Amino acid sequence: MNKFLTTFRHTYLSKVKAKSFIITTIIVMLLIILAGNFNKIMNLFDGSEEIGTVEVEASDAFTEQFSEVLSRMSGEMSVVESDGDIVITVNETVPVSAVVESEFNINAAQQAEIEIALEDMNRMMVMETLDLSEEEAALMMAEVSVDYETSVSPAEGEVEVEAGAEPNYLNVVIFYITVFVMFFIVINYASQIGTEIAMEKSSRVIEMIVSSVSPVNHLFAKILAIICVSLTQLFFFVVTIIAVIYLVDIGELISEFGLEANDRTVPMIIYSLIFLLLGLVLYLSVSALLGSFVSRMEDLQQALLPVTMMSLGGMYLGMFNLFDPGNLLVRITSYFPFFTPFVMPLRVLDPDTSHVTVLIGIIVVLITIGIAVYFAARIYKGSILSTDQGIIKNIRKFNKGE
Amino acid sequence: MSLVLSNLTKQFNDFTAVDDINIEVPRGSMYGFLGGNGAGKTTTFRMLLGLLVPTAGDITYDGAKIGYDMTDKIGYLPEERGLHPKLQVDEQIQYLARLKGMKKQEIDRQLDFWLEEFEVPENKQKRIEKLSKGNQQKIQLIASIIHEPELIILDEPFSGLDPVNVEILKKAVKELNRNGATILFSTHRMDHVEELCEELCILNKGRQVVSGNIDDIKADFGQKELIIEGKHDISFLKEFPGVLEMKQNRNKSVIKIAEEKYAEDIFHEIVKLGYFKRFQVNEPSLNDIFIAKVGRQYE
Repeated sequence: MNKFLTTFRHTYLSKVKAKSFIITTIIVMLLIILAGNFNKIMNLFDGSEEIGTVEVEASDAFTEQFSEVLSRMSGEMSVVESDGDIVITVNETVPVSAVVESEFNINAAQQAEIEIALEDMNRMMVMETLDLSEEEAALMMAEVSVDYETSVSPAEGEVEVEAGAEPNYLNVVIFYITVFVMFFIVINYASQIGTEIAMEKSSRVIEMIVSSVSPVNHLFAKILAIICVSLTQLFFFVVTIIAVIYLVDIGELISEFGLEANDRTVPMIIYSLIFLLLGLVLYLSVSALLGSFVSRMEDLQQALLPVTMMSLGGMYLGMFNLFDPGNLLVRITSYFPFFTPFVMPLRVLDPDTSHVTVLIGIIVVLITIGIAVYFAARIYKGSILSTDQGIIKNIRKFNKGE
Repeated sequence: MSLVLSNLTKQFNDFTAVDDINIEVPRGSMYGFLGGNGAGKTTTFRMLLGLLVPTAGDITYDGAKIGYDMTDKIGYLPEERGLHPKLQVDEQIQYLARLKGMKKQEIDRQLDFWLEEFEVPENKQKRIEKLSKGNQQKIQLIASIIHEPELIILDEPFSGLDPVNVEILKKAVKELNRNGATILFSTHRMDHVEELCEELCILNKGRQVVSGNIDDIKADFGQKELIIEGKHDISFLKEFPGVLEMKQNRNKSVIKIAEEKYAEDIFHEIVKLGYFKRFQVNEPSLNDIFIAKVGRQYE
């Protein structure tokens, strides 16, 4: 146990203290902070100014009514008689036309408000001109109702997409972040753990190490250390996200994107975290397994190719089916252990996915992790003193336990 | 008590790397493993440390099987040198010594001592990859002895070093042995074994050719070397009983004789001729024994 901790400590500290770790962590933290302040940054580049007062050149009746409409719409702008920030000259015909004079750019939100206020005025003037009552006007504005009745009934078990059932964008964002973070960490740390193991083999220092500590003990300490390094990095990201949520008024940003929590948000977060963890453990164990096949650093990338392909495939499966989480491809691939961590959270988005389904996914991944770890230990033990170069040859040889 | 290898055999598929080795390494001795390339020295060491599983036979230390519970008492310098290239010397030693159960301060103190001993104190904070091959080898040797092990296994410890460094390392190895460590080392250099060891084992193609105390081996070997220097013609000795081989070089003759008793007969024969500057009986060198044992088996 003591030796396990020694190797764990050594690997963990040397990785966490590495420049590459510190730099990537800081860069991603900065990106998160930037994303959290997205609207402020956009405003920064927006050269327009806020308008407080509006001067209207029109008949008194029009001005009075416009003032009422505008104040209902916007609390920031008020109509004044002189010295306004902008001057709106209105031509009171039907349709209304107007010229807005200002000494600076008006921001898009206020432009829209002015336009809507003028449209309202126009509507009222049309009603007056045509002598329409309120009810008649309301009928004109009414939305048409259309019902689509299809004779094809949905196949058994297939998810019926309810009319108007929109995905919850907050949950989609959570999924998106999970998958992206998982892919980022897997790609980064798969090569790190592979490098660690292959480097010790190729530099031959491993023979000194395994004369002090058993190979399996050493391997597990290394895998666990790298997983903890990745979790440390993840921890910094999560802390930054939480800090951004609390310190920066992110509510405005969220409402700007129409993100609102619903009853699936909490399970979504919990399952996403579980699959994120499982995904990391699975992919890093497999990378350790693959890393122990090679005896030269040059062969490492080739050996790790399956990890890259699988994680890439998993991520794309998730991304491409973002708005159709119930389709057959998603349902099948969500049980394939290497895709499960990416695809199963997607299925959680779908209200028709039961908890049992997700649980099966978790069990499938756990079993696969067990198998990967077992083979990694078995192969590592046999392969550390070997300098054979063929990967396939090594697998065959070590599996026989030679 | 001691280290005992009995009927030790290792096969890789059809190839027998180590074939039925039986040796006993007494506690506190300096034991040499002598053999050419592919003799089975490294394979034997790896089995000793449990890195390879023997096909047959047993290895015991103090009567118990060697396992990971006793690795803190063992120091090992592998033949294939290698350290973490990106680490600093002190970081590397800290890690490897902690694996042997040492504490930080103690490691630091010992490291300073050994760096001083090996005349490389300036390398403490340097990265391993920046060191020369010889200096890396010194660092690796420090890693294998820093925890003051009872049993030290050194696989070709002097290969690749210049003569000055070989002397420094030899001195350290002798010192460790004087302090009570049992040292087992392999080499293909006879002179190192002759200089350092009391006990040895000669391996050839996985087979144990000869083993035991060097003096006993030399005595048992029988053959002696006779050197005669003088102006008289003694070429007739070639046909003399007991003479195996004779090399003449001007006034000096080197004669191999089957046993020491023939030297006496030769002595009585040549004094009849008159004055000789030199008449000397030498013990056989390990080289002679090696060539005699191994060379004959080749044929």
